[in-house]
Amino acid sequence: MKKGFFVLLALAVAFGSVVAQEKVTLNVLNYQQADQAGYQEDVAIWQKFQQQNPDITLNIEVLFNEPYHQKLQAYAAAGTLPDVFYVWPTARSAVIHEKKLAKDLSKLLGADFLKDFSGAATNPNNQLGKYMAMLPQSFTYTSVMYVNKKLLADNGFDLPKTYDDLKKMVPKLKAKGINVIMLPNKDGWPMQSCLFSTVLGRMAGDSFVDAILAGKAKFTDKPFIDALKVIDNLYKDGIIAREDNQVGYGEAPGLFVSGKAAIYIDGDWRVGAYITDKASGKALISPAAQQSDFVLLPFPAISGEVNPGVLSAIAGTGWAISGSIPAGSAKEKAAVRLIKYLYSDEVQAIRYSTGAYVPTRKNVKANVEPLVAKVPVFYADNPKTCYVFDGMFDPAVYNVLNDGLIAIGLGTSTPEKVAADVQKAYETWKASQK
Amino acid sequence: MSEAIRESRLKKTLSTLGRGAVYIVMGLFAFMTLYPIFWLIMNSFKTTREFQVSQLALPRAATLQNYVEAWKMGEFGLLFPNSIIYTLGATAGIIFLSLMAGFAFAKLKSKATKPIYNSFIIGILLTTQTLMIPLFLEVNLLGIYNTRLAVLLVYIGAGLPIGIYLSTEYIKAIPSAVVESARIDGAGFFKILLKIIIPMSVPVATTLAMLNITNTWNEFALINILVSKTELKSLPLGIYKFSGSLSTDYGKQFAALTIGMVPMLVFYVIFRKQITKGVAAGAIKG
Repeated sequence: MKKGFFVLLALAVAFGSVVAQEKVTLNVLNYQQADQAGYQEDVAIWQKFQQQNPDITLNIEVLFNEPYHQKLQAYAAAGTLPDVFYVWPTARSAVIHEKKLAKDLSKLLGADFLKDFSGAATNPNNQLGKYMAMLPQSFTYTSVMYVNKKLLADNGFDLPKTYDDLKKMVPKLKAKGINVIMLPNKDGWPMQSCLFSTVLGRMAGDSFVDAILAGKAKFTDKPFIDALKVIDNLYKDGIIAREDNQVGYGEAPGLFVSGKAAIYIDGDWRVGAYITDKASGKALISPAAQQSDFVLLPFPAISGEVNPGVLSAIAGTGWAISGSIPAGSAKEKAAVRLIKYLYSDEVQAIRYSTGAYVPTRKNVKANVEPLVAKVPVFYADNPKTCYVFDGMFDPAVYNVLNDGLIAIGLGTSTPEKVAADVQKAYETWKASQK
Repeated sequence: MSEAIRESRLKKTLSTLGRGAVYIVMGLFAFMTLYPIFWLIMNSFKTTREFQVSQLALPRAATLQNYVEAWKMGEFGLLFPNSIIYTLGATAGIIFLSLMAGFAFAKLKSKATKPIYNSFIIGILLTTQTLMIPLFLEVNLLGIYNTRLAVLLVYIGAGLPIGIYLSTEYIKAIPSAVVESARIDGAGFFKILLKIIIPMSVPVATTLAMLNITNTWNEFALINILVSKTELKSLPLGIYKFSGSLSTDYGKQFAALTIGMVPMLVFYVIFRKQITKGVAAGAIKG
C-alpha cells in the first residue's frame, strides 16, 4: 500500500515537472518607436520578462504609427490576431472593440488585481465596446501649458490666469521676437486635440457633444461657433503666431526651449521630450531648470466659458489579450502572467520614470525628474475633465475640423464656415453608417 | 555683308544666352534634387539637440554615434541581406517572367491572348492599399505567411502588370520575320526566347530593372503585412522604427534614412550610363 503510494507520488511529481516545463509561445504585437525617449527601458522590460519566465517564449513583432494599425486591421480581418497586443480604448482600435475580439480583462485579471488601478481606468464605459477589452495604462490630459516661468518673470509678467493676461504679453514679447504661445499645428491634430477640445469643453461642455451625438444639437449651433471664435481670436490677437501652422510637431520642443515662445501647449505625454534621455544622457531642459524655471498650467480662464477649469482628457492605451485563445488554456494563463507583469508596480515605475505617462496604477513610486513629478500634481490641481474631440468622432469628421482649424489659423476661413463644414461632414458620415 | 555678320553675331549671342538660361534652369533643378540629400546626410552627423537649434548649419562637432545606434536599434545587420535578397530575387523574376509573357502576347497570338493580356494589364490600376488585406488572407491560406517565398511571390506578382505591358510593347517592335526564321530553322519557342528575344530586349530589361530595384528596395506597405519575424523584414521596416509623429531623436532618424538611401545612390552612380541608355531606348522603342 505504502509502496504504491510512493510510486504514485513519484509519477505525479514527474508528470508535474513535465507539465511545468511545457513551453508556451505567445505572439505579441508591440507598439514601439526606436528613437522615442524610453526605448532602451522598453527593450529591457521585455528582456527581463523573458529571463524570468523561461517557460514562455515571446515572439514579439514591433511596429509603430499607421503601419501598426494597418497590421492589426489585417490580423483582425484574417482572424489571426496576436495573443497579446497593444490597443486604444477608442475609435482608433474600433474593430477590436466593436467585434469584441479581445477578452474581457475584468474577468481575467480579477478584482483583487484591478483594485490597484484608478476608477477611470477600470470603468468599461470609458472604452468603445463598453467592456474592458484593455486596461488603460494612463489617463492622459491632452491639454497642458508648459510655461517658461523664468522667461515671463524676466519680462515682468506673472503666470497667466485669464485670456487677457495672455493678450497683455503680446506687445512686449513680440518686440523681442518671442511668441506668447507656441502650438505647432503642421500635422493638423495638435490644435484640435491639445487646445480646441479644452476650449469646447469650457464653452459648451460634454453635454453639448452628447447632444450632437444624440441628434439634438448641431455643430453650427452657437456654443461650437463660440469655441471656434476663441481659436480665431488667439491668432488675431497675436497670442499664437499664424506661422505655427507650418511648424512640425517634432520641431516644437526644441524651438520652445531655445526661447522662441514663453508657453508651449501640448499633451502631458510631451514631458518625455524635455527630460534626460537615458541613452545619450542629454536633456532639452536640465533637471535643475525643470524645477526652477518651468511650470505646468491649465489654459487660463476664457470670457464666456460655462465650465471653468475643465481640461480635455482621455483614457490612454494599454494591452489586450486575443479573444481566440481558449479559456483556461496554458496560453491564456501565460498571457495573463505577461499582462500582470506589464502592469506591475515595477514596470509602471519604469514607464513613469521615462516620462511616458503617469500610470493609472495607484501609488507607483519612481525616481522621476522634476517636470515628470509635476504631472500628477497638475492632475490633482485640475480634476475636472472634458472630452477629446477625436476620441468622440470618426476621422471623417475630426479631419475636417483639423483642416478647418488650420484654415482659421492661416486666416483663410471663418468659424461659421468651419462649423458648417464639420456639420456637413458629420451628416455625410452618419448617412454612410445607415 | 556687315548685315550678315551682325545677324550671325546676334544668333551667337542669343544662342549663348539661351544656353546660359538652360544651364541656370538645369542647375536649379539639380540643386533642388541634391540639396535635400546633402541636408539629410549633413544633419545625420548632428546630435538631436544641435539639429533642433540649427537645422541649416554644418555640424559643429560631427558624431558617428547616430549611425552606430541606428544600426543597432534598427537591426540593420539582419535587414540588409533581406533587402538584397528581395530586391534581386523580385527584379530577376519580374524581368524573366515579363519577357516570357511579353514574347507570348506579342508573337504567339491566339484567341486567349487578349483576355489574358488585359487581365494582367488591369493590375496596373490596382493600388497597394486595396490589395493588402486580400493578400494577407491569401498568404495565410497558403500557409506561407512569414516566409521569404511569400514576399518574393507578392513582389513579383505586383511588378508583372507594368513589366508585361512594357515588354509586350517592346517585343512587338521586333520583326516577326526573325521569330519565323528561327521556327523554320527548327528552334522551339523557349530557345527563341532565350537566344533571340531576351538578347534583343536588353534595353527594356534595363528599364524594368531600374524601376523594380528602386521600388522593391523602398517597398514598405506589403512587407509590413507579409512578415512579422525581424529576421525576414527588410530595410524600410527598420527605418520606419525611427519615424513617427512623436519623433524626438532626429539624429538617429536621419542616420537610419541615410543608411537606407546610400545603396540606391551607389547603384545609380555605378549604373548611371546603363540606366540612361535603357530609359532612352525603352522610351523610343516601347
